[in-house]
Amino acid sequence: MANQALARLETALRDRKLDRTLTTALPVWERRDDSAAIATDVAALDACLRGGLPRGQLSEIVGPSSSGRTAIVLQTIAASTRRGEIAALVDTFDRLDVASAAAAGIDLERLLWMRGEAAGGSDAAVNRALKAVNLVLQAGGFGCVVLDLADVPPVALRRIPFTTWLRVQRIIEGSDTACVLIAAQPLARSARGLTLSLAGRVRWTGDADRSRHVAGADIDVRIVSPRRRFDGEVSVALITNDSHYNEPRRHGGHGAI
Amino acid sequence: MFADVYAAQGSSFETLLDVARDFSPRIETCGRREVVLDLAGLTRLFGDAKTIADELRRTAADRGLRVRIAIAGTRTAARLLAHHRAGVTIVDAGNEAAALAALPLVLLARISHPNDPNDPNASNDPNDSNDPNDSNDLLTTLRRWGLRTLSDLAALPADEVAARLGQTGIAWQRLARGEDSAPLVPSVPEERFEQALDLEWPIEGLEPLSFVLARLMEPLSAHLERRDRGAAVLHVRLQLVKRDGVTREVHERSLQLPAPMRDARTLRTLALLDLESHPPSAAIDRVVVAVDPTPGRVIQFSLLTRPLPSPEQLSTLMARLTALMGEGRCGSAITVDSWQPGVFEMTSFTPRDSRDVNSAASVPRLAMRRFRFPVPARIRVEGGIPVRVIIDRRGLSGGKVEKYAGPWRTSGGWWMPVPPLSPIQPIPPNWDRDEWDVTLSDGATYRVFRERDTDAWFIEGVVD
Repeated sequence: MANQALARLETALRDRKLDRTLTTALPVWERRDDSAAIATDVAALDACLRGGLPRGQLSEIVGPSSSGRTAIVLQTIAASTRRGEIAALVDTFDRLDVASAAAAGIDLERLLWMRGEAAGGSDAAVNRALKAVNLVLQAGGFGCVVLDLADVPPVALRRIPFTTWLRVQRIIEGSDTACVLIAAQPLARSARGLTLSLAGRVRWTGDADRSRHVAGADIDVRIVSPRRRFDGEVSVALITNDSHYNEPRRHGGHGAI
Repeated sequence: MFADVYAAQGSSFETLLDVARDFSPRIETCGRREVVLDLAGLTRLFGDAKTIADELRRTAADRGLRVRIAIAGTRTAARLLAHHRAGVTIVDAGNEAAALAALPLVLLARISHPNDPNDPNASNDPNDSNDPNDSNDLLTTLRRWGLRTLSDLAALPADEVAARLGQTGIAWQRLARGEDSAPLVPSVPEERFEQALDLEWPIEGLEPLSFVLARLMEPLSAHLERRDRGAAVLHVRLQLVKRDGVTREVHERSLQLPAPMRDARTLRTLALLDLESHPPSAAIDRVVVAVDPTPGRVIQFSLLTRPLPSPEQLSTLMARLTALMGEGRCGSAITVDSWQPGVFEMTSFTPRDSRDVNSAASVPRLAMRRFRFPVPARIRVEGGIPVRVIIDRRGLSGGKVEKYAGPWRTSGGWWMPVPPLSPIQPIPPNWDRDEWDVTLSDGATYRVFRERDTDAWFIEGVVD
């Protein structure tokens, strides 16, 4: 009801050509133009999010293994580099598959990849990753900055002080940077960022042993937004990456036996 | 007034330059044996033109040079006269045409030939009968017309010369009249962009060094700015003093900068970050900072593209990130045209301009989360098919295999020797394995493989 009233008010303002005067004063997450959100390039998701993940905010993509977190994030980075922005990925445990990133359409030249390592323990790796995110956000100029904490043990995650996320939020507030966190469970609980909670299963095709292969994944995305503005659920279908399953067999480099 | 100093064959170019610079800062080199000096204002220092010429000749002789000297109102006239006559020739301003009138046309071919002072083979010896310039086409044409001297060419109507010989003909005619076609372009001596500081007391640690570097970088940056130059490479030399106070070592670091830069703070930060990763082993008692200069950057910004961080910001960020994450762990990935699983290369992060982006969106695809070091696993196989995965590593759940696909046999690089694997790129160049995709009971889908030579199973990654 409140949303409808707000929409009517904005329409009235636009009719009187007062929209720019007033709407630019609104917080970033209230705006509707392209500069307010970073598209994920997943049509159903962007429609539900009214443009994508908010800029100047810390958002989270959470879910268990094989729930499509990495796919959605790579898609978001690809959309960002396609728009001519530069993006950064802080890869805490060095998990990025470069072939998957290229297949998602990421312009790799515009992606700054920081590869962490597990040497020294999870705590040290997380500390390094948080420092790296801090440096990248403070440098500015990035459209999308992703922190991958998906494989960090829960014990190490619990040791991260909550003020860390407030500090991150404080750095990017008002900037054009969308900061995205990948984790197994919600961590930051940002007041204005979104939380996409993913659940899904890999979809298989073919019954016979020789023809069966992974065809894609069906992902259910539950959106938790500030003031419950975009709350809802949306289903996303992912297809498989051809270079993993089909191409090698066609070229004879791989072969099903 | 201009003086042309023309040295004999085999003379040292550097000595010639030194002689010329002793008289005037405004000199122009014309080949490796010829220098033109601007004499404006020198009469108050040395006297009249003849005195200057005599002084020049004596100074050159003292340094072992045999030179011809010509002084005239224009550089062209001075050069033509020096090429033609030995000894000292002085022409009063305004009398150049008369002085040049009887000179042969071949001189034009010699002085119009572009001379590169860095070309050791450049020759414009007036006595060299085999000079290739003598066979100049234009010279041949002029001789065929019956022209022999500079006055013959100078007397021709300019429009007729232009109609028949084009712009080159006009240029030659202006030379024949002793006119300069362009102002003198002074040769600037190669400058050293270097600052050094001897410390009274040796310093230890990077914090005091940062103050020293700041003090050295400021004048260096100002010097670069004055010359419109940027630093391409930054050299930091630290002289170290060992505990005995006698042994001296030099700790030297060179930083290749991604773009020419001269901001003092950026240069200091980059030097400090590099020294953080490669600290000196002892106290420092002398600091030298030098740069290899390169022409400054000219940037055209666009209103239509999103601005990228400046190279200064990016290089500082990259230096900080490299110090934090380790060498070779930050940058851009490059895909490699290979069947080798998981292979890639790293390069420095230098995003190009965004004019050719905005390609169409792709369909959302599943991705893989790859373990850079494949995780060893125990896999129970029944009838050649994996039925249960047991993973000892914490954080990865094993379980019963619910769905599977494979095996896909792949091999390659078996002809290559196995080098020691680096922690940054731990991908062996040879592989021979059977790959499977398996979905476990908890819903996680893994890519697993069996190494055929060892029969060991590994988890390569998680489909996500």
